[in-house]
Amino acid sequence: MPKIIIDGQEVACRENIPVLQAALEAGQDIPHYCYHPGLSIVASCRLCLMEMKMPDPRTKELVWVPKLFPSCQTPVKDGMEVRFNTERVRDNVKHVMEYYLLNHPLDCPVCDKAGECYLQDYTESGGPATSRMVEEKYKNPKKDIGPHTLLYQDRCVLCSRCVRFTDEIAGTGELKVINRGSRGEIDVFPGAPLANALQGNVVDLCPVGALLDKGFLFKQRVWLLKHAKSVSPVDSRGQTIWIDHNAEGIHRIRPRFNERVNEWWISDEARFGWKFIYRADRLSQPRTRNGTALAPVAWEALPDLLRSRIEQAAAGDGGARVAAVLSPMLSCEEAWLLAQFIRDLAPQATLVLGHVPVTGQDRCFPKGFKIMAEKCPNRRGIETVLAHFGGPQSTFAEFLGRAVEGQVAAAYVTAGYPEAWVDDRAVTALRKVPFLAVHDLFPSGLDASATVQIPAASWAEREGTFMNCDGLLQAFDRAIPPLEGVKPDGQFLFELAGGEGLFRSHKVRASVAAAVPALGDVFEPRPLPEHAH
Amino acid sequence: MSWQTLDRKSVPEGHLGPALSAAAQEKIRSFFPRYPTKRAVMLPALHIAQDELGYVSIQAMRDIAGLLEVPPAAVLDVVSFYTHFWTHPKGRKTIVLCRSLTCELLGSQALQTAIEQKLGIRDHETTADGEWSFMTEECLAACDYAPCLQINEKMHKCVRVEELDKLLADPQNDKLAMPRSDLYDRPVQA
Ligand code: SF4
Ligand code: FES
Ligand code: FES
Repeated sequence: MPKIIIDGQEVACRENIPVLQAALEAGQDIPHYCYHPGLSIVASCRLCLMEMKMPDPRTKELVWVPKLFPSCQTPVKDGMEVRFNTERVRDNVKHVMEYYLLNHPLDCPVCDKAGECYLQDYTESGGPATSRMVEEKYKNPKKDIGPHTLLYQDRCVLCSRCVRFTDEIAGTGELKVINRGSRGEIDVFPGAPLANALQGNVVDLCPVGALLDKGFLFKQRVWLLKHAKSVSPVDSRGQTIWIDHNAEGIHRIRPRFNERVNEWWISDEARFGWKFIYRADRLSQPRTRNGTALAPVAWEALPDLLRSRIEQAAAGDGGARVAAVLSPMLSCEEAWLLAQFIRDLAPQATLVLGHVPVTGQDRCFPKGFKIMAEKCPNRRGIETVLAHFGGPQSTFAEFLGRAVEGQVAAAYVTAGYPEAWVDDRAVTALRKVPFLAVHDLFPSGLDASATVQIPAASWAEREGTFMNCDGLLQAFDRAIPPLEGVKPDGQFLFELAGGEGLFRSHKVRASVAAAVPALGDVFEPRPLPEHAH
Repeated sequence: MSWQTLDRKSVPEGHLGPALSAAAQEKIRSFFPRYPTKRAVMLPALHIAQDELGYVSIQAMRDIAGLLEVPPAAVLDVVSFYTHFWTHPKGRKTIVLCRSLTCELLGSQALQTAIEQKLGIRDHETTADGEWSFMTEECLAACDYAPCLQINEKMHKCVRVEELDKLLADPQNDKLAMPRSDLYDRPVQA
């Protein structure tokens, strides 16, 4: 581990990182725009300059060199000495910031980025407070560059992060710097909009308010948002995310750094794939069949009802004709509780791995970002739970096969998919099940034959862990309260399985881990330095 | 000016412009063996397009992007970097006026006003009849004869406003075809 001296303090740093990164990791707030650890280094913004000691050519003695060096482009070397806290460095920031503000419209009051803008921050901390420019500023119209993104050209500082992102990470190269020098602008080719599957990341990357998300535009001031740690359920990779929310609900989803999975990025699916939570047709009331129709029932009545009907179905043969379908949308803890509940009542019950939605093929991007074809977060987790419980098991297709032959007397089916998932085959098969409990988010073809319908909560309304396609276990927190009338799946299953009081996933996890250590081994990504962006 | 929005998602009606001929495309392909990558053929390809069409149309940029296997934005990036390449139709004759220091001191501003009035066009525009285009450029490397301008490839030195009419009528101006260096037209040796 190399040790370098920053402003007189010895700092141990990782190998082969730029001095800027080392300083940021040591907690210093070094202004920077163009440097991003996930992109190539161009050293073009000139904000991160530092002073450095080098050997005097004659005496070989280490002396401070009179010029400034870009710290983002200088790799750390054991024993090197640099400093940021000097008049010369501060002066540089001040003058560079003055240039950046020459043509900037200063429209922070109507800019979405205000509050998380590094033009604001660096002006506040190191730039001049007033402009000396008396000439008129350049004025450019904003550009509609893609289905999700707007470019406010006059706010751009030409750091080229967005350009390097589309070149290097997405590999599509839609964004480029056009024109030259002071007339430089970011642009797309006319008719070739920014539309790749990762494009939303350029909005997070942009250090100023130039690239903005149309869906979030003018919706919220960022300082009114709270951030919940979560894991995206859109595919089996388990991209880690922040859910930005407040009392009005979810407003946006951003990447949460994860060195093992998605690094600094997320797919657009993960970014925009939460709106189903607010669909008007969400189930919000448990119901049971009363004659031909489903009629509302109290949550409190459900456990006894389920228990007695399943016991009834299990009588005589230990439950060989009972089944529980564990959806890969469930967390590990929830799946565990459901399996436990069913096997307690019916030791011979079949545990079924729920429907695994797959769309297209896995996609791999140039630097290794992956979008998986498997559109559920926890198949591996469910499989781990199933492996522990042993006994009769089946795939969802086999389960439907048995149901259609009339071999299933009672089934508890969990789902929770954002997309419609029930096909004719499932409808026909499950119609043959005398006692069918369906635990799902939306109405479906199963409603006609369900004896009990239980409304589910979305992942943002729950907490727990998902195990991703590589076997990495990651925890997600609850961001928002569940839809009115809905009990979070974990809480309901906890009560079903005989638990009392509040369901807390970490407590359940601790007891699960005692039996299956793999289900307690939660991976936490390394936190990003406070002043990195 | 964020209250106005430019739509960049589609090509405005009638802005696509002409495509490259098969011959031009073939000529671009003939440059591939000279360079380590196809992308490196960008500048010759743009010259070929501008020679053929008089400017580099959006469709020509798309064609070049297809040939060089790069995103079309990468072509626009290079085209827009050089003022030499035109992205809208260029007149038969182009006046290039020096806007650098020496010429400015010796009266290029007055020349610019006079030209703009006479032809009714501004910097980087083309007259309606397609005869004249006008643009300013940085130093034309003839400071000792400032103020100076070029009409097509012909240089006019120490230009005075009164002489403008005569200059514009100079039959030598029509001699556009400065031959390209044979680097461009020489067949590639196998
Ligand atoms: S739009 Fe944003 S990210 Fe792109 S160059 Fe401008 S400031 Fe940088
Ligand atoms: S020059 Fe170092 S961050 Fe931009
Ligand atoms: S300044 Fe005009 S030719 Fe040099």
